[in-house]
Amino acid sequence: MRARCIRAVARKEMIHLLRDPRSLALAFLIPLLLVLLFGYALSLDVEELAAAVVDRDCSPESRDLIRRIDASRAFAVRAELETDTALSRAIDAGRVSVGWVVPAGWGAALRAGRPAPLQVLIDGSDPNTGSQARAFAAALIERLNAERRGGRHAGVPPAVEARIRIWFNENLESRTFIVPGILAVILMIAGALLASTAIAREAESGTLETLRMLPLTAGELTAGKALPYVAVAWIDVLAAAVLAWGVFGIAPRAGIAGFLLASFLYILVAVGTGLLLSALAGSQLVATQLAILATYLPSLLLSDFVFPRQNMPSALQALSALVPATYFIDLLNGFYLRGIPASGLWPSFLVLFGMAVALAAGCVWAVRREGF
Amino acid sequence: MAEAVAVRGLSKRFGRFTAVDGIDLTVQEGEIFGFLGPNGAGKSTTIRMLCGILKPSGGCGRVAGLDLFRDAERIKRRIGYLSQQFSLYDDLTPYENLRLFLGIYRVAPSLWAERIEEAVASVGLRPDLHRIVRGLPPGARQRLALACALLHRPRLLFLDEPTSGVDPLARRAFWEFIGGLTRQGISAFVSTHHLEEADRCGRVALMHEGRIVACGPPRRLVAEVLPERPEAGLEDAFAILLRGRAA
Repeated sequence: MRARCIRAVARKEMIHLLRDPRSLALAFLIPLLLVLLFGYALSLDVEELAAAVVDRDCSPESRDLIRRIDASRAFAVRAELETDTALSRAIDAGRVSVGWVVPAGWGAALRAGRPAPLQVLIDGSDPNTGSQARAFAAALIERLNAERRGGRHAGVPPAVEARIRIWFNENLESRTFIVPGILAVILMIAGALLASTAIAREAESGTLETLRMLPLTAGELTAGKALPYVAVAWIDVLAAAVLAWGVFGIAPRAGIAGFLLASFLYILVAVGTGLLLSALAGSQLVATQLAILATYLPSLLLSDFVFPRQNMPSALQALSALVPATYFIDLLNGFYLRGIPASGLWPSFLVLFGMAVALAAGCVWAVRREGF
Repeated sequence: MAEAVAVRGLSKRFGRFTAVDGIDLTVQEGEIFGFLGPNGAGKSTTIRMLCGILKPSGGCGRVAGLDLFRDAERIKRRIGYLSQQFSLYDDLTPYENLRLFLGIYRVAPSLWAERIEEAVASVGLRPDLHRIVRGLPPGARQRLALACALLHRPRLLFLDEPTSGVDPLARRAFWEFIGGLTRQGISAFVSTHHLEEADRCGRVALMHEGRIVACGPPRRLVAEVLPERPEAGLEDAFAILLRGRAA
């Protein structure tokens, strides 16, 4: 391995990348755009859900309830309707996703200490939003009950108190989880896809034959080819991390060094996957198709990002263990959510390192097979 | 005189097919050696073996003073190679292509400017140095390929059908250029389809079905095969030689 040869190949490869607008967009524009888009649009948090109320009671108590609903973070009262039909039309049309119906005599029942039921209608078409809305509605009513109990029977302990405490992502902000997860998926796709054309392109254009004539070893060619893509993906990681911090206020809680090391290993794995496919496929089209197939769905579906691993059937769990994103997401969760120092996450580091070494060896083997 | 190429019993088998069947070859320093034969005769396979790209199945020999079996990588550094399949990066400029070759040949960066200047001047490429290769005419591309092959100052050049697809005027200029190189002591090993070009070679070898059928100075070959026809050319002589083999 001679540095000058590697540098010469890497520089040439970088020029290819910089002169090809499509690669350039894939390298820089798309990853950052996706982080932003997913960060904003894929938010699973429930906030200011459109609510409508039907107040048949019109008592001070019912007016107070409506004020509370509107003041809560979860709901925003958008309409006060007269009839149930108007409410169900509003929900059907998707104008509101929660409806509160206060029956006549509700305030009087409350004052008298009788059971005072009220109806809450929730649009369940998005199960995640629906279940969160239900929880928020229950909490709101629970708070109301507690206050009334406290006012009327001071000193009497409350009947049952739900002690709910959420660990890690205390605010249940899905963004904190989604942005690192999507970074793992995008890095894998961008790294593998960019590198997937690197060798196949030369095989197609005949320049691979030119390189064969030159005093260039398989290791030098592989390293020279990998270097620019690793650098580009590295810039993507830094830009995404800065973006996540600047725009969403998401930053690793534990050492930044661990995060950088994890990203570096993961990038090596992504670029290695692309190069290996490129050397084996022989044509750019096959190589890119394989790269998408091998990275996109596994990283998204089998990596613990969208579906928790412990809920998978054992066959899929075994497959999931082969997906690099599984380990990167484990590391990112450690740094971003749980604040675990790098030393506590060594098993995942070790697996990513092993994968990177194996892929590098695989690439050199495949390039040697091409006649180097 | 030292020998630039000296191989004995060189052969290459692909499975059960024998592409090159135990050939002997010598090329002297400063010689233009013509390598002739029909398509599929094994010319390119032979050249690829001599260049250290393909591992021979048998035989022994030295190229550019290095052992063909033990020093294949170092041979690549001492020779220059140009072929019709020789593709350059067409999204790079000639300058960037040359710089890639200089880096891979590990020429010290302090020498780069001088080497590029020298190669570009000798093939007449200066006006196009910073234009993207894709937009250059075929003649300029071929000159660039030649410049790339000469950058590291090889003492031995392998040219695999370098003039196919080049117009007659450029072909003539090309041969004059090669002649100039050999006067500096550089050897050229040239395979070609154009038999009239063989007259520019010091010696020629005719290859057919993996074997060398005849080898020697063109005039002498003709005289040996057709002693009664002094006006005959290489073409006539080769026709008789190949027919003799087929019978």
